[in-house]
Amino acid sequence: MSQKDDWHLTEILDYEHGRGDPFAAAVRATRMAMVITDPAQPDNPIVFCNEAFQHLTGYSREEIIGRNCRFLQGEGTDRSSVARIRAAIDAAESIHVDLLNYRKDGSTFWNALFLSPVRGESGDVQFFFASQLDVTDRVMAQETIAAQKAAVDSEVKRRTADLEKALEAKTLLLHEVDHRVKNNLTMIGALLRLQVRSIDDADIRAKLETMMERIDALATVHRRLYQADDVTRFDVAAFAANLASDVIGASGRSNIRLRCDIEPIEVRSEHASALGLILNEVLTNAIKHGLRENRAGSVSIFATRDGEEATLSIEDDGVGLIMDPASSGLGHALIKRLSPQSGTTVAWDRLPTGTRVTLRIPEMEHTS
Amino acid sequence: MTPSPTPFKALQVLIVEDEPLLAMDVEMMVEEAGHSVVGEAASLYEVEAMPTEPAPDLALVDMQLARGTNGLDVSRLIQDRWPSAVIVFVTANPKKIPEDFSGAHGVIAKPFSRSGFMSALNYLGEGIADPPPASSQPSSFVAAPSVLEIWSARSQMDG
Repeated sequence: MSQKDDWHLTEILDYEHGRGDPFAAAVRATRMAMVITDPAQPDNPIVFCNEAFQHLTGYSREEIIGRNCRFLQGEGTDRSSVARIRAAIDAAESIHVDLLNYRKDGSTFWNALFLSPVRGESGDVQFFFASQLDVTDRVMAQETIAAQKAAVDSEVKRRTADLEKALEAKTLLLHEVDHRVKNNLTMIGALLRLQVRSIDDADIRAKLETMMERIDALATVHRRLYQADDVTRFDVAAFAANLASDVIGASGRSNIRLRCDIEPIEVRSEHASALGLILNEVLTNAIKHGLRENRAGSVSIFATRDGEEATLSIEDDGVGLIMDPASSGLGHALIKRLSPQSGTTVAWDRLPTGTRVTLRIPEMEHTS
Repeated sequence: MTPSPTPFKALQVLIVEDEPLLAMDVEMMVEEAGHSVVGEAASLYEVEAMPTEPAPDLALVDMQLARGTNGLDVSRLIQDRWPSAVIVFVTANPKKIPEDFSGAHGVIAKPFSRSGFMSALNYLGEGIADPPPASSQPSSFVAAPSVLEIWSARSQMDG
């Protein structure tokens, strides 16, 4: 390019500023690409371009002067942006727009085009002045960020969908297992009840009934746990009261009175089955043996808490049975073996009339 | 327990349960309690095929039934055909029962104990023969709100 010697081609700028004008010199020398077009000529051709513009586009001055700016556009150029530029020129207004332009060698660049009308003293538009800044890096960075964001978004969506699917599968499995546990417990209970009815020998039937009651106690614990709002806690006092009420209610005996004076005693649900079985032994012992042979009487359940320890006591005014520690019966073994798990102690006292069984149960925070 | 002698009435009981062993077990407990079984069905279709006489006093209805049918549909059919029948769901999924019980009267949750089931049966027997029931409501039975309104007068849970 022979910019340095082409002073004569810029004579057109001498309309209002003389040659050698410092402003014209600055325009020619700046690194900002600039053109001036003349709207008075057909198709608003470029009448001046600086060296930076030639450098940016790859065209020489001879190839540029006399042409409309649209020669920089190509197939990737956004049509609506071009229309906005045309509208701004028609309205003689300024406009700033990012446009994809093409160099002589066919390569592209993002052009931050600023275009504004230049008015003469009369107020008429004499020229359009346009500056071009290569903002390819910025646009590409934005596009890269947008692409990365889209990629991350779609990955997050995919992972979320995977997790939701996994959760759905787990929930389904949990429901299935829960349903099976309930149904199996129901079936085990039904099988035992069916068997009990078919046994003629009173002793064997009594033993099987005892076993059935133990299974029933476990089923009741499970039912109460799944119906509770908080599956991690189990109220043993309410369980004892309900069990006693069910056993008395089912016996059809109207000569047993049940008295309950209880406050909730909550244990961790992992201890629920063991304590449920212990209470089943104690309560059936009181009702079936303490108040045996249709002996009229009462069963009382008291539950109190004193901070670190809860006390659950079950009293009957029956025959005064004490579960013999030396007894080889399974009932006693169950109580002895199951109580240490939850740190519970079980004491048997003979009352003037009847028996009192006292369970001392550590409060939940202290249970191991 | 109040020892007031409730006039006992032998109930006609309909059992809708798709598990044969459990149906047999329930049937025996119903009979042990002094009631009689008027019919057994494993699905909605079997209830539909039943004769309208004799009408059951009490229907014990499982929720999940054979041939893709369910207890809610059976309950609607029973309400339609035998409007005076007391309908009690017997289910392992009590949470699936609508809050208003869709016109049914209560639920016994599975797995139930023999004593829990018998207590519920006694309570229902008293409620049907001479409401309100003399016994307190056992924890094994949850009554529908509408039934509670009618029966609540003397019912007080002690647990």
